[in-house]
Amino acid sequence: MQNREFEQFARVLIYLLLVVVAVFLLLPFAWMVTAAFKSNEDIFSSLLLPPGAGFLGVAWERLTLHNFDRLFAEEGIARAMLNSTFYASVTAIGATTCSAMGGYALAKFSFRGRRLLTVLVLGAVLVPGPLLLAPGYQLLHQLGLLNTYAGLILPSLAPAFGVFLFRQAMLNSVPDEIIEAARIDGAGELRIFFSVVLPVVRPMLGAFLLISFLGAWNNFVGPQIVLQDPALYPLSSALAGLRGTNFQEWGMIMAGTMVSVAPVMGLFLLLQREFIQGLTSEVSRGAKP
Amino acid sequence: MFPSPPSRGYSRGFVLIALIAAASTLAVVLWRVPPREGMEFWVFARQYYAAYKGEVAEWNRERPGQAVDMQLLQFTALERRLLSALRSGTPVADVLEVERMVVGETFAGPLEDVGFVDLTDRLAAGGWLERFNPPSFSPWTTRGRIFGIPHDVHPVLLAYRADLVEAAGIDVSKIETWADFVREMAPLMAARGPDGRPLRYLLNYWSTNADQTEILLLQAGGGFFDGQGRPALATAVNARVLAQLTAWVVGPGRIAVDAKEMTAAGNRLRHDGAVVCMLMSDWLTGVWRLDLPGLAGKMKLMPIPAWERGGRRTSVSGGTALMIPKSARDVDATFDFALNLYTSPEVCDSFFRDTGTIPPFRELWARPVFDEPNPYFSGQPIGRLFIAQAPAVPLRSSSPYTVAARRTYGTALQRLVDWAESTGNYELPVLEAKGHALLEAAQADLERLVQRNVFLREEAPKS
Repeated sequence: MQNREFEQFARVLIYLLLVVVAVFLLLPFAWMVTAAFKSNEDIFSSLLLPPGAGFLGVAWERLTLHNFDRLFAEEGIARAMLNSTFYASVTAIGATTCSAMGGYALAKFSFRGRRLLTVLVLGAVLVPGPLLLAPGYQLLHQLGLLNTYAGLILPSLAPAFGVFLFRQAMLNSVPDEIIEAARIDGAGELRIFFSVVLPVVRPMLGAFLLISFLGAWNNFVGPQIVLQDPALYPLSSALAGLRGTNFQEWGMIMAGTMVSVAPVMGLFLLLQREFIQGLTSEVSRGAKP
Repeated sequence: MFPSPPSRGYSRGFVLIALIAAASTLAVVLWRVPPREGMEFWVFARQYYAAYKGEVAEWNRERPGQAVDMQLLQFTALERRLLSALRSGTPVADVLEVERMVVGETFAGPLEDVGFVDLTDRLAAGGWLERFNPPSFSPWTTRGRIFGIPHDVHPVLLAYRADLVEAAGIDVSKIETWADFVREMAPLMAARGPDGRPLRYLLNYWSTNADQTEILLLQAGGGFFDGQGRPALATAVNARVLAQLTAWVVGPGRIAVDAKEMTAAGNRLRHDGAVVCMLMSDWLTGVWRLDLPGLAGKMKLMPIPAWERGGRRTSVSGGTALMIPKSARDVDATFDFALNLYTSPEVCDSFFRDTGTIPPFRELWARPVFDEPNPYFSGQPIGRLFIAQAPAVPLRSSSPYTVAARRTYGTALQRLVDWAESTGNYELPVLEAKGHALLEAAQADLERLVQRNVFLREEAPKS
């Protein structure tokens, strides 16, 4: 009995602690949301909502949609949203497909130099991204791909990390027998890959897709370097452009941040189960020796 | 029959994102980005972009063959693109606005290899060198050649809380020097809080603020380089300023508080009256009007107290210029466009009303807009106050090592502050002697850095 009471007490304590931590973590987010609806005069005069005589002691009449209005009417943020959606979704689909194909080839095909290629892919994982910025920029310049969507998407299509991740997933999850059985039944290699192999690594597919989507959506450095025309900017670059040199329109910046965060947050909430399943499936399955 | 895989079909996420990709691809194809045409003009400040829009549209209407395509770029993006263009030939605008702290790097090589068009002869031929405020050319001049048309003058005045100063019965007309300032304003620091510290400080300044330090140093006649661009940190003026700034931030003579501009904490201190006076360049007046609306009608401007009687009552801070890269498609047209923009009365008026910035083109100084009383600054005609000081703004170096020099001087200042605190020595002569020694070491460091540049080392004696 005493033990049970102690357990309950400990649980309450843990929950209390978690609530406190959650409040701290959510406070900046709450500040962002409230700031998006405040005028510049009210941004620093109150922490969250402006105090007043209204319901709950808040001056509701001072909250405004003006920041969002300006964001769409003057700053053309709708175009940036479309660019982000296009860039992130096409990159995610492309990177996932190419990584899965690469990983499949390294895991299931026997060809000369496979071991060397695998080592090279693994080695490429170790190269820090910023190191590739300058040569990548020069290459894109020589190919005439600067200031194009292709210049932004093509370099992200076959990430070494993704290829290696899928190689491991294929080794662990795809039995050679089902591939051979499919071949005996007359299926071509593409058919085998799309109809047999990919469904087997479905959890990994979902997780990697979401990781790639988020990575492309949040990519700030790439678009800043490759794109020059503001009409091609994704949200990350367009938002950076909202920052002034001397004076910051915090309300509009926060409204832009909300617009930028909301779609990916919605997507993550929608797919979180699949995402977590994908990340944990390989762990629970255990790696093959 | 195929053997059954463990799970069939693609995941919900894959299908959803594939659908989003298909839909967004279709939207991108249908919503085409119109091709950009005309001479590219890059700007980095949103307010500048807004102020130029009308004039650029007018120019494009009048000269369709020389149309200008103005683009707003984030400050760092513009800086990086400019530097990579000048170093490796990547694409750059036909004309662009360059900030003062960026331009030095573009002057690091031999004069003939500077990536901008030398505008000296064009400006001289048109009489523009006299028609613009002459000191405003200095940050864009290297080895006697001018590469930029100045956008601004950016003189600095002293802003003060008129409500507090007048309530204390202080007559600011009695203040001519910094010594007068400390003496006359001293009553404002008399009130103490429960911890014994003053409730108000006289000046917004801190030894870690390189911008403010440079403003005060230039006002005093000091600087980082001599007329030939050689490091000149260890001078008597620089040491005197170093000592005085130290005495302002530590010890019994402390009058300063750190209320950093454009920060929430600094704005709160200003709002609450914890700081009475601030160094205020013209562009900062516009920032304050937007950031600190609560101080409207409580502020006034006056010339900065001089370092000695009869000395300079202003300084300078920041700056931007229009520069034309050598890769510009039509240099004549971009030069005409640049002058047209910077001498436009319409741009001048709207820009001053929005930002408080006065133009360097002297013929515009007679515009009535500068005589308008400004309600934020208690009805003072702030344009006229800044213009009165504009011809006296100090010259500035365009050395590629300006940023390094600012840092080196700042380090020496911080070391002196630390030394004063640790030894308890706050007497000005003692601080000055110690400061001079620190500056000599700082100068040696800077000289070593500059000496690595073989181009400037060879060219220095010629200039």
